[in-house]
Amino acid sequence: MPIVAQNPMARVYSRFMYALCIAFALLIIGVLVLIIGYLVSIGWRSVSVSFFTENPQPYGSGRYPGGMLNGLVGTSVLLAVSGVVGIPIGILAGVYLSEYSANSKLAAPVRFVSDVLAGVPSIVVGILGYELLVVPLGGYNGWAGALALAFIMIPIVTRTTEEMLRLVPKSYREASVALGATKARTILRVVIPAATGGLVTGIMLALARVAGETAPLLFTALGTRLLTVNPNQPFPSLTKQIYNYATGPYKEQKELAWAGILVLISLILVLNVAIRLLSQRRGAR
Amino acid sequence: MTTTDIPVNLTGNPLPAPAARRRSRGQWVDRIVHRLAAGSGVIVLLMMAALVSVLFYAAAPSIKTFGLKFFTETSWRPNALEKIKRTPEGKIIRDADGEAVVDTIPPVFGALPVIYGTAVSSAIALLFAVPMSLGTAMFLIRIAPAKLAGPVSFLVEFLAAIPSIAFGLWGLFVLAPFLQSHVEPSLNAGFGAIPGLRWLHYDGMPTGRDMLAGGLVLGIMVLPIITAVSRDVLRAVPQTQIEGTLALGATWWQSCREMLRYSRSGLFGAVMLGLARAAGETMAVTMVIGNVNQVVASPLAPAQTMASLLANQFAEADGGLHRSALLQVALILLLMSLAFNVVARALVVGKQPTVTQ
Amino acid sequence: MTPAVMKTIPTAAGAPAAPPPDFDAPDRQGQEEKKPPYIHPELASEQSLLTVENFNLFYGQSQALHAVSLNISAGKVTALIGPSGCGKSTLLRSMNRLNDLIDGVRVTGNMTFKGQPIYDRHTDVIELRKRLGMVFQKSNPFPMSIFENVVYALRIAGERKRRKLEEVAEKSLRSAALWDEVKDRLHTSALRLSGGQQQRLCIARAIAADPEVLLMDEPCSALDPIATAKVEELIHELRGNYTVVIVTHNMQQAARVSDYTAFMYLGRLIEYGPTNTLFVTPHLKETEAYITGRFG
Repeated sequence: MPIVAQNPMARVYSRFMYALCIAFALLIIGVLVLIIGYLVSIGWRSVSVSFFTENPQPYGSGRYPGGMLNGLVGTSVLLAVSGVVGIPIGILAGVYLSEYSANSKLAAPVRFVSDVLAGVPSIVVGILGYELLVVPLGGYNGWAGALALAFIMIPIVTRTTEEMLRLVPKSYREASVALGATKARTILRVVIPAATGGLVTGIMLALARVAGETAPLLFTALGTRLLTVNPNQPFPSLTKQIYNYATGPYKEQKELAWAGILVLISLILVLNVAIRLLSQRRGAR
Repeated sequence: MTTTDIPVNLTGNPLPAPAARRRSRGQWVDRIVHRLAAGSGVIVLLMMAALVSVLFYAAAPSIKTFGLKFFTETSWRPNALEKIKRTPEGKIIRDADGEAVVDTIPPVFGALPVIYGTAVSSAIALLFAVPMSLGTAMFLIRIAPAKLAGPVSFLVEFLAAIPSIAFGLWGLFVLAPFLQSHVEPSLNAGFGAIPGLRWLHYDGMPTGRDMLAGGLVLGIMVLPIITAVSRDVLRAVPQTQIEGTLALGATWWQSCREMLRYSRSGLFGAVMLGLARAAGETMAVTMVIGNVNQVVASPLAPAQTMASLLANQFAEADGGLHRSALLQVALILLLMSLAFNVVARALVVGKQPTVTQ
Repeated sequence: MTPAVMKTIPTAAGAPAAPPPDFDAPDRQGQEEKKPPYIHPELASEQSLLTVENFNLFYGQSQALHAVSLNISAGKVTALIGPSGCGKSTLLRSMNRLNDLIDGVRVTGNMTFKGQPIYDRHTDVIELRKRLGMVFQKSNPFPMSIFENVVYALRIAGERKRRKLEEVAEKSLRSAALWDEVKDRLHTSALRLSGGQQQRLCIARAIAADPEVLLMDEPCSALDPIATAKVEELIHELRGNYTVVIVTHNMQQAARVSDYTAFMYLGRLIEYGPTNTLFVTPHLKETEAYITGRFG
């Protein structure tokens, strides 16, 4: 005779919760698949060659609705400029936290602030960009947009850089210093090369994050229908173009918005898979 | 080079000159790298300082004008109203030329509707997301075999990487029409029919672009962050604690409850992180919440959050009090999310109970 | 068991620097020859509460327990000794099916508790674990008050009566010789107790569930000598009321607290008998080599 339960209610309840946990997990996966599937299936129908080769055309023009070439170029330029500004600052601040924090009173506040900055709503960052770079410069411009994105990028790069540098074994640093290298040389020639994969992961994470940002660009770069690479003027971006078209009245433009989302998500998916492969190769979690 | 620059060894003798020169150049590079690194650290601090001080400065006129009333005022009227003056009997008062006398009512700005909208939409989001996230985290740790947990974790993290505009688009074109045609009519009828829920009833026709839709989209958006953080927090529960409960005859769920209790502060931190994201989320909410400044109990009524108000009005605001009031809203939003983040950080990092040896 | 059989055993006295236990592949050496364990005849007269028959356990591909058979005597203290990796903890954790938690664990053979199968599709594992209490290597009080720790098993069984809970808490804490030390602070956090007190609290918590068997997995390995002495004294007092199975690294401890001792090596039971006999005049050479400290 087997050993049998004495009060079965707790077991029934436990089974129920077990099933519920599975159901929740399935539900989350289901929601994800639903959303991605929908975006892909609708977006797929609207993507065409002209999406990549044409600028948006106004309603009534012969080539209406055109494409989002301006947004693609604009987002690329914004990413490049924000990366040029944000990545060095982020990496250097991360180096500071990891390598120079030992007897520094500055390190704890910097670490704390960069953590908290990562959670600042991006629309607020856009408003800061407006107050600091749009009002004084006399109009919406690409610089303000790029710097707002850099503002979002810096804390992300800082924190991942610190984490990745801390994974470099202490013995590397000791070996280098024991050979007579200065601290700077040790960092530049030993520590950073040893952590390159991790740093690249952090950078791509930050780029993937800001590539999809819309809110900080609303009051900085503003957006334009034109193709431009001059950051002194209102500057186009893929996300703003999508937003304008999605909330606008025309069916053809809404379809273009779906196509834009598909392109954007594909870009982010590629970045994410690359990040995952990179960090797997390095054996980091 | 002066003699004081030459490094000295312990015996006090100057080191050989070439070595000294090389080292001195190294020291120079050393100093530059250190300065650059420290400078970047200072930039991070300055970013925060700029954020807070600029918003405070720009919001000052509004703070001065409205004071604490800003938090209780329900109307948001950027334009001055002109109202024809009447006698108590209702007769129009005219001046000497026979023109009606007009009173100018100045613009008024109150943040209550958007604070309410942010609070309620975030609450709906958490109500939806917290049980789902905890259940999924439990699934990942206590149920799924390693081969399954990896891909599921990746999917959840990928959900976190999808831009908010994509959720907005989906919410606007898929979720909102679905809610409007399939969910909200019967829900509203239910609210109307059940006596205790009468206050949730919406008198208009629900449009699918309302508080409920905003809350749901936010809920989907905060799922991944709460799931990922609570998964990490739960994973940190020592195996001995789980075995301890099971060895005493706890059921699967009873031992899970012990895990939840053990890591409750970390889980609370995870929820706070989710809350911070929900409160600050802009694009998706702006696209589905309906953008009407009002305090209405029904979740089927359109609403407005702080972030969506900013997205809708900031670009068009004139330079005066309207912009300043918007900046004050931005300031409140910033301080709120800073508070959530600080609390979350304090709870997730290192506040776990420790079992002494 | 004949002397002829013994001679075929390759290890032991001839090779004092004998092979250290190989954790990764404990089965490599074992498969070569099957030697039956030596069971002392005194055990035959004991009443068996828990019976292990031809029990094998696999972690994925590697086998951790090889055809283990032994009877745990009712009301007695049985010690499982052997070098690390010999499977003694694995065997103990198989008794209340705690190994079920580990992915890829597979068992064959029989294990019965009071004649009822432990590894059976219809066995209620939760009920089983209630009857076989366990004390762990590292004390694991839950992050709650001392009182709530002790009555945890009752709480999860749905007991709500305050009187009953208090009664059981006092009785269990007294049995664990902890009552006098904590009676004035029952509602403070259990994590503030010292290491030794925490371990006795865990014993009290196990006792409160009213088990028939107490499984102890190296309960003193993280304790200082004074705390160890207290726990050993406690085990002495529990003898008779409970059947105790204790895994220990420390042979002096096994000699001090147990009635019977089972020596395991490389996942096999080697020799099993009354503690006094086994430690003074072991029957097999490996046992002698181990208890005299020549390996392990």
